[in-house]
Amino acid sequence: MPSSDPPTAEPSPAAAPAPAKANTAKQQKGKEPATSTDGSKLSGAELKARAKAEKAARRAQALLEKGTTAPVAAPIPGQQPKTEGQKGPKAQHKRGNSMSLEVRNVPVRGSQKAAPVVPAEPKKEDKTVEFFRHLYKLRTTSIAGASKEVHPAVLALGLQMSNYTICGSCARLVATLQAFKRVIESYTTPPQNSLSRHLTSHVLSPQIEYLSSCRPLSISMGNAIRWLKLEVSKVDVSVPDAEAKKSLCDAIDVFIRERITFADQVIARSAADKIKDGDVIMTYAKSSIVQRALIRAHEEGKKFRVIIVDSRPLHEGKHLAAALVKIGMDVKYCLINGLSHNIQDVTKVLLGAHAMMSNGRLFSRIGTALVAMEANEADKPVIVLCETIKFTERVALDSIVHNEIAPADELVIPGGPLEKWGDIKKLQLCNPMYDVTPADYIQMIITESGNVPPTSVPVLHRLGNESQG
Amino acid sequence: MPSLQTGYAPNLGVFLKSLKTAPLESSIENLISLLKRRQIRNSRPCAIATAHLLLRVVAKFRWTDIGNLLQRIQEVGQRLVEAQPREMVVGNIVRRVLGMIRDEAKEDRTEDASDSTSTSQLGSPGRERSDSGDLRTEGGVSSFSPLRFATTDASNLSEASGDDIFQGRSPLTSRPPLLTSHTSYAVLNGVPVQQSMFNLLSATPTPSSTPPHSSPSHGKSKITATSLAQRIATSTRDLKAEVISGIEEIIDELDQVDDQIAAYAQEHIHSNEVVLTHSSSLSVQKFLLKAAEKRKFTVIIAESYPNDHEATHAAVIGKVSSNLESDEMSTETFLKPLSAAGITVILMTDATIFAIMSRVNKVILATHAVIASGGLIAAAGARIIAKAAKVHKTPVIVVSGVYKLSPEYPFEFESLIEYGDPGNIIGYGEGALVDHLEVDNPVYDYVPPDLVDLYITNLGAHAPSYLYRIVADHYKPEDINFHKPELQF
Repeated sequence: MPSSDPPTAEPSPAAAPAPAKANTAKQQKGKEPATSTDGSKLSGAELKARAKAEKAARRAQALLEKGTTAPVAAPIPGQQPKTEGQKGPKAQHKRGNSMSLEVRNVPVRGSQKAAPVVPAEPKKEDKTVEFFRHLYKLRTTSIAGASKEVHPAVLALGLQMSNYTICGSCARLVATLQAFKRVIESYTTPPQNSLSRHLTSHVLSPQIEYLSSCRPLSISMGNAIRWLKLEVSKVDVSVPDAEAKKSLCDAIDVFIRERITFADQVIARSAADKIKDGDVIMTYAKSSIVQRALIRAHEEGKKFRVIIVDSRPLHEGKHLAAALVKIGMDVKYCLINGLSHNIQDVTKVLLGAHAMMSNGRLFSRIGTALVAMEANEADKPVIVLCETIKFTERVALDSIVHNEIAPADELVIPGGPLEKWGDIKKLQLCNPMYDVTPADYIQMIITESGNVPPTSVPVLHRLGNESQG
Repeated sequence: MPSLQTGYAPNLGVFLKSLKTAPLESSIENLISLLKRRQIRNSRPCAIATAHLLLRVVAKFRWTDIGNLLQRIQEVGQRLVEAQPREMVVGNIVRRVLGMIRDEAKEDRTEDASDSTSTSQLGSPGRERSDSGDLRTEGGVSSFSPLRFATTDASNLSEASGDDIFQGRSPLTSRPPLLTSHTSYAVLNGVPVQQSMFNLLSATPTPSSTPPHSSPSHGKSKITATSLAQRIATSTRDLKAEVISGIEEIIDELDQVDDQIAAYAQEHIHSNEVVLTHSSSLSVQKFLLKAAEKRKFTVIIAESYPNDHEATHAAVIGKVSSNLESDEMSTETFLKPLSAAGITVILMTDATIFAIMSRVNKVILATHAVIASGGLIAAAGARIIAKAAKVHKTPVIVVSGVYKLSPEYPFEFESLIEYGDPGNIIGYGEGALVDHLEVDNPVYDYVPPDLVDLYITNLGAHAPSYLYRIVADHYKPEDINFHKPELQF
């Protein structure tokens, strides 16, 4: 698993943006790996164009074959098997959906039998929503195209993330760090290399890349990975492998314990203190830290009610409701359409966070902003529970500039009328994951370093970074 | 297909069909149970059903008195409203019909009143001619007609109405043309000057056309006795026809209302705008389609999960779900989807509203009912949309037919909200949750008037603060509480 052949791995650090890198890597593998990085970059574009033309020609060929059953597949096939062989998995990996779409369309086009090449392009309508077009990323949903450097633990984790088995900023962060621990454990530094130089670029990077292809990394994951890279780079060259690995794994454990486990405990206690007898707490979707705070308050014997607001398509609140109902709490559950009916009864709103922006805005599950807005209109205090690991120096003014777009097919209800929405022209489905809540809707942020107003987010973030660095 | 459906699920179409044949009382009971079982639901079908039923009630009504008709309609209306108090259009339609009957009756009364003034006018000359009493008995019935005619001033219109009246009177088929009878009467009897003055106004006297039964008599007592009965008999036919045509006008209005509203679309939607709407509504869809004839724009549709999302999805796809098909009239079901009209349609969940609102230029909402304060009842979720729009300073336009405008002014808005099936939210399969979880599924939202910028009705565009005037124009104050007898004076 730990890859150590220099030629294949070499181009990857050279090309920073992921798709470009994939392409160069692909082409390099396809042709001779002997070309220098510089040269391959130039010829990469060329090759790409050529490969595209070949592909189109091949497709046309396939069409002809299908449509007319004439064995015309003569001129190009010389190259065909070769390109097919090396491209197949890769292409699926990077542009899995577009490929599969085209493949699905083939029989339809075949039945038309005319003008095989030209209609291939306009056939596929762009189903992405204009506002969010910069955010679309295709998700990897199978391990088929994963590069061989990816550790099995990470492969599994990636799949779990992409189908929301592991969902939520904190859960993903912890799971990622645990998986990376196993990656580090199974790592051996190749000869004539030092761990601090080799591990990050050649081992961790492919893992991270794979994970982010499964689902874009959360901000807390980004923070943690930055920290981990820093830790790795700090490892002394003279330290033996085993010791260095052990110290890294210990550091990860400490990190998880300090930044997540203990932080959660502190926040839960502090939030539970805010809950009084007779309170009606509203929360949106599911946040592990809110759940913990509620359960803690309940265990302390406080009598309060919980209203859980939820929304399609993830219905995360249902899990929270199930967990709370199980321990005998008084829970009311409604979807976002019932929000304005229930807000009057509420005394406090507790929200979880995906991230806190430096301008004090809350980046959280889509719909959170609506809850905060309603609470604000009804003069109910909005309290955000957030570990400092989720703080970021990024800023956001609206939910469109930075977001994550989940596959639109998640909105389709099985058996419902939407099943064939792809066939309808000019119809688009959009499924963003997060929204940005304005800072004025938030009265307080409970963190492990204290309760602060949203304006103090950048301060806390800086303090946290300084202590880390 | 429809015949299959009719067997199992009664709906508006079936009801209207049965209305023609079934006895009245069973039709009323039928509609009440359909309303109760929500087999007729949503504003438009309810309004259509109510209007047709009232038409039938009036048609079948054995006329005695205008007051009785009003009472009868109030009584039927009360039963319908009680069956489904949250379908406020039922009450609206009943009020419209009541108001219309009152108008007709008033018109009729003023006509009568002018009659009576004219009789009094005529009374003075009549007294002078009281010596001709022996003649009265002879043509007692007809004696009134000239009088009546004289009052109506010989214009063409009144002539026609006079004709109507006479048609009502079966035995007097041999009656000659009115004008001539009138003039001849005046001439023959050597009437006083005032009388002849009337004739001067009406037409040139033509003595040659003297009718065989010229009826010279007009004794006062006789007139009052017989003519009153006559007047009732004649005016009822007249009034009943008027009322029926009035109800038919209301039905026509219900048919055309969406197209009338759509006519304003191009004033309000411009190129490259981003319009957000909610749920699926025929009014909004027609409105947008009309705008799409001229312009290209983007529509974002919030799906209104969990109550209306299927209808929304179906509307977006372009096929009407079977459920909806049964509710709506067959002609309306085949409306092309917005995307086919060249509009880019983006379907999003309700939760995304805040995220997307910063890019939206206009919010267009459909309503379930509009109340006099300018607030509205709409599908659940409309309130947060309107509020998010307010926060982003995005204008909110409400598209609604006048028939949805209700004069009721509830002070406690929760009473207007209907709660739907919680099974739509937590399926009954999830046993543990179903047992212990309180699930809330409101179907409607109350949107206060300050969140709405503009109403577009079939009468034009109005500010929410102006709606009370439209209410006053359409409903009579005495009908507002018709369904609550205890509140009536």
